[in-house]
Order: sequence, then C-alpha cells, then structure tokens
Amino acid sequence: MPNDPVDVLIIGAGASGAAIAWSLLETRMRILCLEQGGHISDQQFPSRRDDYELARYGDFSCDPNVRQLPQDYPINVTDSCIAPVNWNGVGGSTINFLGHWVRLKPSDFRTRTLDDVGDDWPIDYQTLEPFYNANDANTGVSGLAGNPAYPDYTPPHPPIPVGVLGQTLAKGFNKMGWHWWPSDVAILSRDFEGRSKCVNAGTCDLGCAAGAKGGTNFTYWQMLENSGVELLTHARVREITVDENTGMASGVLYHDAQGQVHEQKAEMVVVACNGIGTPRLLLHSKSKNFPDGLANRSGMVGKNLMFHPLRGVAGVFDEPMKGHEGPMACSILSQEFYESDSARGFVRGYGLHSGRSTTPMTHALGGYGIDAPIPWGEQHREIMDNIYPNLAGLTVVSEDLPEEHNRVTLDANLTDSDGIPAPKVTYRLGENTRRMLEHGEAKAEEVLLAAGAKKILSKSDDKVWWRAGWHQMGTCRMGNDPARSVVNGWGRSHDVKNLFIVDGSIFVTAGAVNPTSTIQALALYIGESIKTNIANLFDD
Amino acid sequence: MASGLSPQERKLLDGILDVLIPRNPARGIPGAGELGVADFLIECAAKDESFDVAIRMILERASGGNIEDVRRIETEASDAFARLLEQSYKGYYSRADIRTKFGVGAHPPHPEGYEVAPESPELMESLTAPVRARGRAYRDTPAGDKNAE
Ligand SMILES: Cc1cc2nc3c(=O)[nH]c(=O)nc-3n(C[C@H](O)[C@H](O)[C@H](O)COP(=O)(O)OP(=O)(O)OC[C@H]3O[C@@H](n4cnc5c(N)ncnc54)[C@H](O)[C@@H]3O)c2cc1C
Ligand code: SF4
Repeated sequence: MPNDPVDVLIIGAGASGAAIAWSLLETRMRILCLEQGGHISDQQFPSRRDDYELARYGDFSCDPNVRQLPQDYPINVTDSCIAPVNWNGVGGSTINFLGHWVRLKPSDFRTRTLDDVGDDWPIDYQTLEPFYNANDANTGVSGLAGNPAYPDYTPPHPPIPVGVLGQTLAKGFNKMGWHWWPSDVAILSRDFEGRSKCVNAGTCDLGCAAGAKGGTNFTYWQMLENSGVELLTHARVREITVDENTGMASGVLYHDAQGQVHEQKAEMVVVACNGIGTPRLLLHSKSKNFPDGLANRSGMVGKNLMFHPLRGVAGVFDEPMKGHEGPMACSILSQEFYESDSARGFVRGYGLHSGRSTTPMTHALGGYGIDAPIPWGEQHREIMDNIYPNLAGLTVVSEDLPEEHNRVTLDANLTDSDGIPAPKVTYRLGENTRRMLEHGEAKAEEVLLAAGAKKILSKSDDKVWWRAGWHQMGTCRMGNDPARSVVNGWGRSHDVKNLFIVDGSIFVTAGAVNPTSTIQALALYIGESIKTNIANLFDD
Repeated sequence: MASGLSPQERKLLDGILDVLIPRNPARGIPGAGELGVADFLIECAAKDESFDVAIRMILERASGGNIEDVRRIETEASDAFARLLEQSYKGYYSRADIRTKFGVGAHPPHPEGYEVAPESPELMESLTAPVRARGRAYRDTPAGDKNAE
C-alpha cells in the first residue's frame, strides 16, 4: 500500500538532511525524512561507560564493517587504501564526528582558474558566506574572530580552551613565523539553548553525552520534529522510482525494520545519504529512462571520490601535554601551507591540525584511525610510561584532487541485510597528494621541534591512515555542464528536475579542511534556492 | 575458551601476558598477567571461536612464556599472535585503575569530563599577535567559472 504522497521526501537524517529540512520548514510543505537507522539517546553513548574505550573497537566503531549493526551497510574496501567511516542513524555521521569546523577558503572554489587542476565550482565563497553564518548560529560554533586566513567573520561563541598542548604548539608556529589559529569547533564553549557547554571529556567520537557537540541529533532534529517535520526511522530506501512518462522522480521504495517494502510518493526527492550512500542509491535506482543509474547521464555518479588523506607526526615533550583533556580533534590548526606554491613540487596544499593524544588504549592500538599496535615488552613500557603522556601531535590533512578512477560502484556480491548491493570503493592515493603529505610531515617535524619536542615520532612508512575516510566528497559533483556533472549550481539534478542532492557528494573539489560546515552551508543554500525558484522549480 | 584453561595453561598465559605488557614496579604499574587480563581474553574467546583457536594455538606452541618464547611465537604464528596482542591491549587498558596510571581519569568521560581553564583573552591576544601582524593569509579569487570557457 502506498503511503500518502508528501511534498518533500528527504533521504538521510544526517548533517545535510537536517539542514535542508530546516531551510524548507518555513514553506509549510509536508516534509518527510526517511532514515535507515534510529534515534540514539545521550544515555546510550559509551562515553558514559567505565570501559568506554572498548566501544571504539566494537559497537561504536566509526567503521560500519566493524560495527555491523542492523542499520549499517557493508562497504567493500579491498581496493582502497582508505576505509570510509560513518554513523547510520538520526544525526548521521555527526553522531561520531569530532566537531572540527573549518570553512573552505575562497580559492577552493576556483582551483581550475588558479591552479589548473580540478574544476571551478559553479558557486563561490561569497555566495555561501551567509549560509555558513546561519549554520554556525544554529549549530553553536565556538572560535576566535580575526583569523587572517579567511575573509572576516565572527563565530557566535568564544573559543574553547586550546590547552597546554595548543599553547605549546602555537609557540612553535610563532617561532617559525607560520600561520596558526585556534580551531573553530561545532562545540559549545558556553551553555546554549538547553545544551551544556563542553566538559572536555575528550571522547567526541563516542557520542557527546553533554550535548555540547553540534551533532544534528542535538541541533536540528529535536527542533524539526517538534515543528512537524516527519522523521521515519528504520526506513531504508532501496530505490528512487521514476515516472516513465515524465522522467521525473515519483518517490521511493523503502524497507522497514522487518525488511517489508513500502512505497512513498513525493513531489520532490532530496538525497542526503553522504558521499558513499548517495551514489550507491542512485546507481541502484535503474530504470528504462536511466539504465546506468538515476541522474547518471553524465556517467559521473560515483566518480571523483575524494577523501582527505592523512598522516600524523608526533613530538615528545618534557611536560605532560594532557592530550586526553579537551575535544579530540580540535585545538589549533595551521594553514601556512594551504594555498598553492609552485616551489613545493605539488599544487594546492594542506593543513596542519593539532590532534590530541587520545586515551591509553587507543594509543596502544596505534592511534585513532590507525590499526598498528605499538610494540610489546620493555618498549611498550617505555612508550606508555614516558612518551604517551608527553605527546603532542600534528595531523597533515591534505587536499585530494578529483580523479575519475577513484570511485564508488555497486559490489557484485556483497549486500546489506535487505539485499541491496553494497558500495565498493576503488581508491588510490594520487601522486600530488603523496608529495603533499611528505612535505607536510617534514614541516610538522620542524614546527614540533621548534615548539620544544625532544623527539619526533613519525610512522614514515608511506602509508596514510587507514580508518580515516571521515570525509567523503565528489561522487555526484556540481557543475554547469550536464556532461561533466550530476547536479547544477543549486543541487538540482541535470537529468531529473525534481531530484536534489545536498550532501558531500556534490563537492567539486575537496579543499584541505573538514567538510561538514560547507556541507550544511550548501544544504541551506540549496534550500534557499528551492524557495526562490519555487514557482518554476522543475522547469528547464 | 568455553572449556576453560587448565591451571598450567593459565599460568603460561599469565606469563606471556606479563611479557607483552611488563610491570613497572617503580610506579606501581602491574603487568598484564598479574592484573588478570587473561580473564578478559577468556571472555573474548567464549564469544569468538576464532579467537579461542588463536589462543589455543599460542598456548600449544609456548614453552615457558619468556621473552624468547614469545618472540618465536610472534614469528611462527603471526596472525594468532597479532590477535592476542590486540585483545591484551584492550583488556589491559579498559581497566579504570590502569588508566589513572597514565594521568587519565578512572571515571567515564561523561558526565564529569575534565576541568580545563580557558585561556584569558590577554593570553590569546598575545599568542595570536604575530599571526595577525603578518596580515591576510588567503588568496584573491577572480569571479567567474573557468570551466564554462
Ligand atoms: C569519526 C568521524 C569523525 C569526523 N570528524 C569530522 C570533523 O571533525 N569535522 C567535520 O567537518 N566532519 C567530520 N566528519 C565527517 C562528517 O561527519 C560528515 O562530513 C557529515 O556527517 C556528512 O554529512 P552527510 O549529510 O553528507 O551524511 P551523514 O551525516 O553521514 O548522513 C547520512 C545519513 O543517511 C542515511 N542513509 C544512507 N543511505 C540511506 C538509505 N538508503 N536509506 C535511508 N537512509 C540512508 C544514513 O543512515 C545517515 O544517517 C567525521 C566523520 C566521522 C565518521
Ligand atoms: S569533549 Fe566536549 S564536545 Fe567532545 S564529547 Fe566531551 S563534552 Fe562533548
């Protein structure tokens, strides 16, 4: 039995699905969001448990292939040097994200013009700026105004502490004469709208039980559900359906928790399943009109997958760095090497982000996102007793370039529990990125020594962090040219006029910053464009 | 390890664990064997047959559980050894009493968290002064979309 048709059907209740629902709320259209996972209350977060660290390697792993919860779909990563990670449920990957909240820079939108690589975006920083600001206000972003690496803006809340670790590193950057700034974070430095300020618990990936971290479970969804947006959980979309006569999306088929298939009709479909889940769904939505997958006449669905490949360098200092105190990912960051400089042997650039040192188990197992346990025996004692407490690290966060061979396809054999083909990720590190990472490691070492590190620890094995596919971008890129892109400059499919995509898959280039502030700003911008064009929304 | 370990096997396993994570008497830090990490491993093995098999394989190969013995097992049964090592680290460091030895609170991180004093505006002002003094640090971008050309 088909359900009553809705005006707007959003697929995915993560970062972008929440933001666009908020933007469209004022239209009074009937909005329904289908989400394959469920709600999770802050009481269920492992950060409230004594053995909280174990959860990181079990039911709260960021890797769905490890978690294997009923709502998770497996991802074939055998042809990739980086494993995509996520959370499936209300809040999406903002449940376990780390809240580092960095905007793209103006130059990121113009890489073809400036550096002859990638492609230019059909929009620019100035277009997104008001949406960055609105989203920062909704999310509760903390930071220090006046960062000279950006056009002027003021985060709504004062910065969180950078701590002894951040101060130490900052002095090193100052000695080198390099840029650094306290990180903007989607984490509250003071109580705000019923949410508590950060208690510096340091386990942001295990769910923020304080409500300080701006996951959409706390920021958008509570308000949206109270305002009448319908959210149906445990509803996994298997296919977006198409009206054969008009070629428009007519709705979806979805599975409930028991695997039963239901039909939901809609006037407009918005896909927000992230850079892996969205191409997977489109590729699986084949029909007479779209034999290669929905909205895929360009052949670009699934291609140009970009991550932010990472390597880390740590310094051992004389004093304890108290790395476990304070939000996990965010203290300070440097963008000294962000913009292109031809003398460096690569184009585009990278950021140096100060990571904190995590908790003892995670360190012993090799660090967050890395599977390489530290040595056993006497060396183990030396590392844990004398090195671990005194560590301060820098992560080299590199800009990945769009390359068509890096892609998401449908696996021929592997499926989720409803029999929907799993995504297969084919990804290899580009030569430009490799050179960038090497440069970054050398620079990180220099600045750590300048900051007073007595010893440098670097894996220097030419590997990137494995379980660090946190940021998934590019697989349904935006563009003005329908032959080379999937959606237009305001997120509407070139091929299907009532189909919109709002998640990280529409990124044209990746920048070298965490993407979620841009993902949500884009979703708000697309929502605004829908409202502006409402009278002739589906016209050519 | 549904069938349990004999006292000899348990002693051997404790010995291996003490080699993997030795004690530091000066700081009152116990080795993994004396801490009882074997109990954690036995629980894991009860839930995961392949881990049970891995432990059995290691115990069959072990003869004394000293460093040389452990090195040999690491080479001869590398996969089983890697699993043992990983689970031993998990068992050891999931103990609240062990966390405190490394300056990390025994309590779950939430709701208590940690007290971290915010930097004063004056401190941030002086730390960021050199960065601000160098001025603007991003590129100008021309308007327009070169792809369209
Ligand atoms: C461990 C970790 C750390 C991170 N740290 C940071 C950080 O510090 N800063 C930052 O900017 N970003 C970070 N990220 C990335 C950030 O979480 C993502 O960029 C962001 O959540 C992506 O938003 P999205 O809307 O595209 O997708 P998601 O937030 O992933 O939401 C997608 C939703 O769609 C649902 N879905 C998928 N397929 C279907 C289907 N077929 N039917 C129904 N529902 C479906 C999923 O269940 C999920 O809830 C991190 C991510 C992880 C996992
Ligand atoms: S450190 Fe702060 S943001 Fe992170 S989980 Fe704890 S309270 Fe939340």
